[in-house]
Amino acid sequence: MPKSQYVDPGKAFEAGYIHFEDIPVCQYNKTLKEEMKIYSKEDMLRIYRDMAIIREFETMLNEVKVKSEYNGVKYNNPGPAHLSIGQEASAVGEAYCLDINDFSFGSHRSHGEILAKGLSSIHKLDDKELYDIMKEFLDGTVLAVVEKHMNAGGNIKELAINFLLYGALAEIFARKTGFNRGLGGSMHAFFIPFGLMPNNAIVGASAPIALGAALYKRSNHKPGIVISNCGDGATGRGPVLEALNFASMDQITKLWGMDGKFSDGGMPILFNVFNNHYGMGGQTRGETMGFDMAARLGAGFNPSQMHAERVNGYDPLAVIDAVTRKKKLLLEGKGPALLDVVTYRISGHSPSDSSTYRTQEEIDAWKAADPILAFKTKLILGGVATENEFATIQEQITNRMTEIMKLAINDEISPRMDLNKEPDAISSIMFSNQKVVSMDPSREAEMLMPKEECPRVKEIAGKTRTAKDKNGKPVSKMKMYNICDGLFEPIIDKFYDDPTLIAYGEDNRDWGGAFGVYKKMTEAVPYHRFFNSPISESAIVGSAVGYAMCGGRAIVELMYADFIGCAGDEIFNQMAKWQAMSAGILKMPIVLRVSVGSKYGAQHSQDWTALCAHIPGLKVVFPSTPADAKGLMTTALDGTDPVVFFESQRIYGIGEEFMKDGVPTGHYEIPFGEPDIKKEGKDVTILTIGAVLYRALEAAKILEEKYGISAEVIDTRSIVPFNYEKVIESVKKTGKVLLVGDACERNSVMRDMASNITEMCFDYLDGPAVVVGSRNWITPAFELEKSFFPQADWIIDALHEKIMPIPGHVPTNNFTDIEKVERAKKGL
Amino acid sequence: MATVVIMPRQGQSVESCIITAFNKKVGDTVEKGDILFSYETDKSSFDEPAPESGKILAIFREEGDDVPCLENVLVIGNDGEDFSAFIPAAEEGDAPAAAEEAPAQEAAAPVAQTAEAEASATQGVGSISPRARLLAEKTHADLLKAVPTGPNGRIIERDVQKLVDMGLTVSPAAKDGYTAAVNGSGINGKVVLGDLAAAPAAETVAAAPVATVAEYEDVKIPNVRKIISKVMCDSLTTMAQLTFNSSFDATKLLAFRKSLKAGGEKMGLANITLNDMILYAVSRVILKHKAANAHMLGDTMRYFNTVNIGIAVDTERGLLVPTVFGAEKLSLNELSMNAKSVITAAQSGTINPDFLKGATFTVSNLGSLGIESFTPIVNPPQTCILGVDCITKRIKEVNGEDVIYPSMGLSLTVDHRALDGADAARILKDIGFALENIDLLLAK
Repeated sequence: MPKSQYVDPGKAFEAGYIHFEDIPVCQYNKTLKEEMKIYSKEDMLRIYRDMAIIREFETMLNEVKVKSEYNGVKYNNPGPAHLSIGQEASAVGEAYCLDINDFSFGSHRSHGEILAKGLSSIHKLDDKELYDIMKEFLDGTVLAVVEKHMNAGGNIKELAINFLLYGALAEIFARKTGFNRGLGGSMHAFFIPFGLMPNNAIVGASAPIALGAALYKRSNHKPGIVISNCGDGATGRGPVLEALNFASMDQITKLWGMDGKFSDGGMPILFNVFNNHYGMGGQTRGETMGFDMAARLGAGFNPSQMHAERVNGYDPLAVIDAVTRKKKLLLEGKGPALLDVVTYRISGHSPSDSSTYRTQEEIDAWKAADPILAFKTKLILGGVATENEFATIQEQITNRMTEIMKLAINDEISPRMDLNKEPDAISSIMFSNQKVVSMDPSREAEMLMPKEECPRVKEIAGKTRTAKDKNGKPVSKMKMYNICDGLFEPIIDKFYDDPTLIAYGEDNRDWGGAFGVYKKMTEAVPYHRFFNSPISESAIVGSAVGYAMCGGRAIVELMYADFIGCAGDEIFNQMAKWQAMSAGILKMPIVLRVSVGSKYGAQHSQDWTALCAHIPGLKVVFPSTPADAKGLMTTALDGTDPVVFFESQRIYGIGEEFMKDGVPTGHYEIPFGEPDIKKEGKDVTILTIGAVLYRALEAAKILEEKYGISAEVIDTRSIVPFNYEKVIESVKKTGKVLLVGDACERNSVMRDMASNITEMCFDYLDGPAVVVGSRNWITPAFELEKSFFPQADWIIDALHEKIMPIPGHVPTNNFTDIEKVERAKKGL
Repeated sequence: MATVVIMPRQGQSVESCIITAFNKKVGDTVEKGDILFSYETDKSSFDEPAPESGKILAIFREEGDDVPCLENVLVIGNDGEDFSAFIPAAEEGDAPAAAEEAPAQEAAAPVAQTAEAEASATQGVGSISPRARLLAEKTHADLLKAVPTGPNGRIIERDVQKLVDMGLTVSPAAKDGYTAAVNGSGINGKVVLGDLAAAPAAETVAAAPVATVAEYEDVKIPNVRKIISKVMCDSLTTMAQLTFNSSFDATKLLAFRKSLKAGGEKMGLANITLNDMILYAVSRVILKHKAANAHMLGDTMRYFNTVNIGIAVDTERGLLVPTVFGAEKLSLNELSMNAKSVITAAQSGTINPDFLKGATFTVSNLGSLGIESFTPIVNPPQTCILGVDCITKRIKEVNGEDVIYPSMGLSLTVDHRALDGADAARILKDIGFALENIDLLLAK
């Protein structure tokens, strides 16, 4: 909603037509003679060799799967093998145009893309660069195997091909010597030094991640383009469509330039659909989609129709022709682009595929058109090479593959991770736990004004940093430093300290974020670092993942925590998993801000900390004071791990009530995992998560004043990680503990913590660890919320009913066992 | 209409009382004024008379129960009357000893104790929190005597703490064989090995020789005694006490006493004793010595602007210390009357518990029992106690001649944390001088 763009009612209703340009369909028709002016014989033979290597690699995997044997070598591979036999020309054609600055992302069916781009990179890199890359990668572990056990005849490129094939195969066979220590596997293998970015087992998941990589290049002025590969089946997925739209949004070319101050080029990304006609068994053309041809999608996203084209993916030269033209467009700032590369998967979806969805006749017809055979025949008929030359190439490939396989299945040379000997091998890579102030200290941060001039910074300077003034009187809301300010300060600091930091989400820029955290920040931060995203939660989080994979730092916002579901895969499978799936190669410095609402009913009031805490690989925090908000945000932004940062809309405007001297003005971190005692006490411990802290303090006051019971109130602040020591100490003292939070009680974080506390403090407990959460209902309207969210009297009643009856107390809420059993029976 | 008898509130500060004995049982017929049960606070004991005549329909409590004031204890009425409305809320689940069950109850005498013991023998300790169990192990608390106050009858920490406070413990040696509650004979009522033979569970082991003549008698220590023991031990273990002895010439004091005896009654004066005169002297002197008329409360000293004199009184139930408030404002005669009133009440056991606290300085007189010198124990949080000794004949030199005179001893114990030896000496000197010159003091 930039004010610079006027929404004119006259123009909005103007009569007219939307015009479409023709989308080229398989228009490539160059002859071999014409092409031989561009390619040398070596180029042609290399294209053939690369296709043949992929074919042999996948044939080997297929044989192992269906016969447990390849070329006389026995092996059993229980893991997945999603083969792309038939699609080699598409992969090699695309990779032919790319260098290591061009990043490609793919799918679960990406062996071909990995090998093709790897082989292309090996060809383009000089020997020294190539050797250094191999030597440095995982401290030379992979290189050592092929150097020691295979003879490359002193040829670095041959050595590199051995390295590539071995590293990929060892990864597929879950060996410690694989590209990702065997933690990624067949569907996720990648090799960043060649620009080979992670592939994804979730269909379509790479599209928003690739978008994030393009965003990284675009916002940090990095060379190269980004390829987002997916199958035609994946185009049915929301994240793919969101990514297509996000990459095409007008602001990139219309607003990001800021009147010539910065680049106004489009997003440098090519969405490449390897259209093999099937999403597993569902036929996209004629059954599961309505686009007829995937290239039609381009017309739906922007006036340039994403420069969409449909290309013959059975002809590597046709693919090279198309990708070359698209890459040129992208480098000229005319992205994004879309290619519909027609191909066919001769192999099944997986070895267990009995092809019930297609006829043998159809398979045979595509086999007859086999792109590798066809290319060979074309070269022989065109007099470029002889049958013998191809036979030699094939023999070399088969021998090499047999040798590689023997190495990769040798348990001594290629051991698996031994979790008995190294029990911490995976534990140590779940988080990177680094402190990195700037992800790129070599550059100055691009900002629009010095920090002191930022209007919000000036505004905060005039605020009182405590909730009460020196005389104990409450500070007026307008003058009081609140949680929004506590969040803002470390964010604006980081914008100046880290040139890679970007922030986006819905209504982040001019609106200032739906709840005002980014208020008056627009004036200071340029568009390409701080913008309004489309309402595309998958693309928001997914792109942050891609952005971080490339070496940037992102802070993205989902407005309401309830929208976590809209970005479920991106949060739970992507953001959470890639550090460990990459064996620690990737860092994931992302802060995902989510806000827990109230007043807005069932779909806008949920505390979903438990969902996030359940997924290994995410850090989860939930501050409830301005000082904690600032300290935890600083830690989140200084770190290298993905953080789901919960905020509560109930308390954005609250002042600092606990730090006597107010929220410190300087930079300070509050370490994740450390709960904080907000009120000391001796009779009962109340552990809180989020905004409920203030209701717990209210309960503590009543307990103290009315019943003479002294409650210790501890704010968890962090959920993952969490240090129980302080809580254990408190519970050992009091013997009684209540866990309170606004999340629905069932399977909440409180439940998990209650169980842990019971395990660790059992002998010290004077009653069970009791959870007081919200009812297992929908959140009702604001006026009824007091019957849904825990209130101070619930806490007292729970203590009275379940732990220690309080003389003279008459409970008004039913915390009896009978009620609990009845509710559980009804699923409530 | 049935009549409920509640636990009366004896003084504003009393929250609960312990029932020491029931004189009646369910089914008994009572006349108005008959004593229903006896109970005690931590300082006094009382008897509760029947407010109406009738039959005991139900008793909700047992001997030894600590009953919150104003809560229902029993119901008097006519046969068959409904008393369900009077069942205390917390006890609803438990069946009260109702009239219908009276015959069975009568057969099993003595009612409460045996019933309790049997219940314990069959059920043992019910549910108990891990924390309470841990505390019980540490303190050897007698869990069989615990009154569970947790949810669903669970024994929780405070229940065990109560046992410990009441001195109800089991010796480690006795623990294994201890399955049914018995009254302990050890220190503070601790159940020791020897007590187990008396337990109902142990009766089955009849082969053991049984003494025909009791060699000793086990008597449960009354609550007042327990309180005294606790206060005394606390006093000696937490304070730095030492005693200073001095004496003064009681010639004038005795003369004054003699003249009071002769003419006091005619003047309408009370029977003013030597002790009253000592109290009077203290009330006039002690305000000068701030630290002596004070409470030591942790890191705070509370200095009083008034003198509330505690008087140590020997009663049948043990030592009680009633207080005369605002003594510095009273004339000797008023002081004497006040002192007599509280002393009498303390001795008869009917004193309002509010008069058993609040003293700022205590006087303990053992002189009438011939004690020449002793080391009284300070009643915390006070800082001093003045012991009054007997009068002996002493010799002093007056104008070069030995003169025999009556000498009265004073033994002042002070808390050295609150005041020093010289302070104590000055206090004794001032009190001695005032008493030696009682005529001048009264003229003041």
